Amino acid sequence: MFTPTYVAQQIINGVNLGSMYALIAIGLTMVYGLLRLINFAHGDLLMLGAYLGLLLVSATFMPLILTLFIPMLVIGFLGILVERLAYRPLRGAPEVTMLITSLAVSSIIENSMVMTVTAQPRAFNLPAGVNRLHTVAGVSFSTLDALTVGLSVALMAALTLYVRNTRTGIAMRAAAENLRAARLMGIDINRVVMVAFFLGSMLAAAAGWLWAAKYSTVEPFMGFLPGLKAFVAAVIGGIGVIPGAVLGGYLLGFAEIFFVGFLPPAFSGYRDAFVFALLLLILLIRPNGILGASTEERA
Amino acid sequence: MSRAMEGVRRVNINGATRNLLVGCAYVALLATLLWLAQSTLNNYYLRILAVIGINIILTVSLNLTNGFAGDFSLGIAAFMSIGAYTAALLSLPVAMKTASFPGLPAWLQTTSIPFLPATIVGGAMAAAAAVVVGVPVLRLRGHYLAVATLGLMVIVRVIANNWQDVTRGARGINGIPPLSNIWWAFGWAALTIYVVWMVVHSPYGRAMIAIREDWLAAQARGVNVLRTRLLAFVLSAFFAGVAGSLYAHLITAITPSSFSFVITFNIVVMLVVGGMGSITGSVIGAVLLTLLPEGLRQVETALAAGGTPLYGLSQIVIALLAALVMIFRRQGLLGGREIRLPGMTER
Amino acid sequence: MRRTWAFLSLLLAVSLVLAGCPAPVMTPAAAPAATEAPAQETAPAGEPIKIGALYGVTGGMSSIDGPGLNGFKLAAKQINEAGGINGRMVEVIAIDGKSDQTATTSATTELIEVHKVVAIGGLNDSTFALAAGPIAQAAGIPFVTAGATLPTLPEQIGDYFFMAPFGDDAQAYAIADYAFNELGARSAYMLVDQAYDFTTALARFFKERWEANGGTIVLEDTYNSGDTDFSAQIARVKALDPQPDVLFISAIPNEAGITTKQFREAGLTQPIISGDGFDTPLIAEVAGELADDVYYSTHASLDNEAEIVQSFVAAYEAEYGRRPENAFAALGYDTMNLIADAIRRAGSTEPAAIRDALAATQGFQGVTGVISYPEGQRKPIKSVTIIRVQDGVYSFVTEIQP
Repeated sequence: MFTPTYVAQQIINGVNLGSMYALIAIGLTMVYGLLRLINFAHGDLLMLGAYLGLLLVSATFMPLILTLFIPMLVIGFLGILVERLAYRPLRGAPEVTMLITSLAVSSIIENSMVMTVTAQPRAFNLPAGVNRLHTVAGVSFSTLDALTVGLSVALMAALTLYVRNTRTGIAMRAAAENLRAARLMGIDINRVVMVAFFLGSMLAAAAGWLWAAKYSTVEPFMGFLPGLKAFVAAVIGGIGVIPGAVLGGYLLGFAEIFFVGFLPPAFSGYRDAFVFALLLLILLIRPNGILGASTEERA
Repeated sequence: MSRAMEGVRRVNINGATRNLLVGCAYVALLATLLWLAQSTLNNYYLRILAVIGINIILTVSLNLTNGFAGDFSLGIAAFMSIGAYTAALLSLPVAMKTASFPGLPAWLQTTSIPFLPATIVGGAMAAAAAVVVGVPVLRLRGHYLAVATLGLMVIVRVIANNWQDVTRGARGINGIPPLSNIWWAFGWAALTIYVVWMVVHSPYGRAMIAIREDWLAAQARGVNVLRTRLLAFVLSAFFAGVAGSLYAHLITAITPSSFSFVITFNIVVMLVVGGMGSITGSVIGAVLLTLLPEGLRQVETALAAGGTPLYGLSQIVIALLAALVMIFRRQGLLGGREIRLPGMTER
Repeated sequence: MRRTWAFLSLLLAVSLVLAGCPAPVMTPAAAPAATEAPAQETAPAGEPIKIGALYGVTGGMSSIDGPGLNGFKLAAKQINEAGGINGRMVEVIAIDGKSDQTATTSATTELIEVHKVVAIGGLNDSTFALAAGPIAQAAGIPFVTAGATLPTLPEQIGDYFFMAPFGDDAQAYAIADYAFNELGARSAYMLVDQAYDFTTALARFFKERWEANGGTIVLEDTYNSGDTDFSAQIARVKALDPQPDVLFISAIPNEAGITTKQFREAGLTQPIISGDGFDTPLIAEVAGELADDVYYSTHASLDNEAEIVQSFVAAYEAEYGRRPENAFAALGYDTMNLIADAIRRAGSTEPAAIRDALAATQGFQGVTGVISYPEGQRKPIKSVTIIRVQDGVYSFVTEIQP
């Protein structure tokens, strides 16, 4: 039953899904690393990015690439705005306080969308060429799949270079390592956090656009589950570490696809339970995730 | 020496007796109020009251883990679900079970027990699940517990969705006898408050607070950190299971999706708005945040009748309120303090 | 501490005012039908008839319940414009159940105890109908579900509970028969959403009929609503040899378009068949020209030339500026009219009399077909419409009498 083509097909599917999880997880992990905040509103920024993309794709004749980049920019700034309004006043507050606030922000965004654009799922269609199917040695993938993987890798590489080599990037890593020490070293924490929110939200918007394109639908609640799963991915990989988020994202994508693809159909329904069971297992073996450094969070 | 001891003991007994008397007085007061409510209010208000009682149970018991022990659990929905399914399966009439649950084990199919024991077993099952999950997971701290308990919620829901013989999958269980009322809800709420109060003011409670403030120091002073946190987690799960049973017998129809993240979110907001680490704060949070959405919905309905439907407004206002409380009064309304009822002495 | 107290008392006072005393906010006089009915001035005096509309306008059900409520209110508006029921205006009290069982049950008691409605309509999912129905039953208020299709609902809840739609059995049998007899299919693949009562029931009835007809099920696969990636399941279908004749997908509207698109993109060309969960413009919008050879059973076809259908579509467009989003708009519309028809025939607004009149409904002409309740049953015998999607265009195929 598991012919080489079948396996190859599942691997392609896993890479695809994993790329999107990785993109989302990066934003979550950067923010968590700096502020110890599980940003539940991250998935909603993804959703807003998808809606904005839909608006541009369907209402204008602009080149496809712009319909992706404009939402990325706009949502990036929106991320800064959310941080400024909702999270900055809470700087230094207990983690729980920020978590509640992020849940509140999420609820506000989702319900505002239901009230304004209604909850009707809308179709997100790209020009026909993007969905063209290519078959190589019995394994099929669309142009969009290739685009998803290529774009994700490019964005992640750019981000890694940025964090490795620029002053702000280095400051960001220092702050994630030890916020207080970084501040004492003269690093402008507000700026660093702002940049993290900008970059993370940008990637979320890109993921939202790709997600909407792949699954062809947008609706106000579409961001919740990807956001949650991406956080799981970040935890698996080692939260606070960007390569960890990437690794976790791909691992989760593969795990999900393989779970559904290689076990009898009766187990397909257990997909999400499996994802979280995997999370628990990894946490028990490596509480700080695969690439995570040991921190004071363990008891 | 011995005379002095006797003196101390007598004072203690007197204090205890006094507390007992005051306690009885409060129980009597609560009973009178409930009786008054029962005889004057219509079913709508009685239902809202019952929901308030259930929310008090959930919030106060969550306070034990999240407020006092300093853990952050998001497992309420999971434990409620376990309690609700267990209790419902136990209390369903036998005739209904044979018709709707052909796959159930014979002993369960032919048993139907009253509401109170069913609820207790429901709570116990939730507590048992908490032990199984807690022993490994409580080795972790901070957000890891939050994520792990969130994962538990998803796992429980998926199992409930797929375990056809016992849970009937997505069809859920319906026709559960409508046994919940304000008496059960507030009776259990009073018990929850009493137990949590006793625990918090016992050596265990002091240990919890010590762990919350500085677990390393607490451990160095000989506090068994894991066991203390486990106690809080399991006790909290027990009452969540009880609340789940009360919920199931109030709504009368449960499905795996009845116990969603929304419930957890609402209870956490009640807890944090009321003020973590304050039992009276939890009660106030639960009362306020049950009444407020209900009231806002009345506004929505009236607006819709007036031609401007603004459905969704109440959720936004609640979320906004929660965010504002966090920003401007992050310690919650009571900020960890207690409102002492007149007559109660410090234990 | 004093500030805390002051703040607390203020909050408590506000919420008590909001929750405890709905009266000042919404006395019947203040809830104006005035904006709606120019005919009101000439209408005979008399209190309006209060009818409850219970829908999950926000949350998970909102994409289905929102249009449902719109249809419901449209019917009430038309009734009032035509002079009301037996000379009395209709006042629809619409409460949001928030797609949440607690809120839905509270809303039901509120409708009954506070607003004193004489009948309630709404809800499109049996999860919520099973929670709300027993409350109305206990209070002796007729409840008509607009779109919950679990066929056993009326028996489970009681004699005050009515269904406006057909049951899942009817629509599953219809599509099974159609695929077997008209499409000539003999082997079927099933993909079932495990998260909904509706999708699992539909699959159960489909399988029952399919096998009774002599067809075979080659593979049964599952997923959970919210999954957006079906590549693993699809790969499994592709690995089947021989290939199934039809693909039966039991999904809710949110997944109808995605599944169709992904199955077609993967090169699977068999007819896709389903029930009213597929009744959504999303199939064509999402799958575009890939939406080929899709057949589903549903309540009504908006392309049906019948006058009642076309005038409903036109009125809905005029009122809300868009075509009805899905069949649930039509079902909401029919539900309100069905209740109004019963009140008219009862000549009374006594809930018991309305119940009796509802139970005696014969040949009620609705947008979604003719509703008659057979003696002692509260689930209508209704025709099932089969719709075909070809090149992204929906067309009416046939009506099947179960």
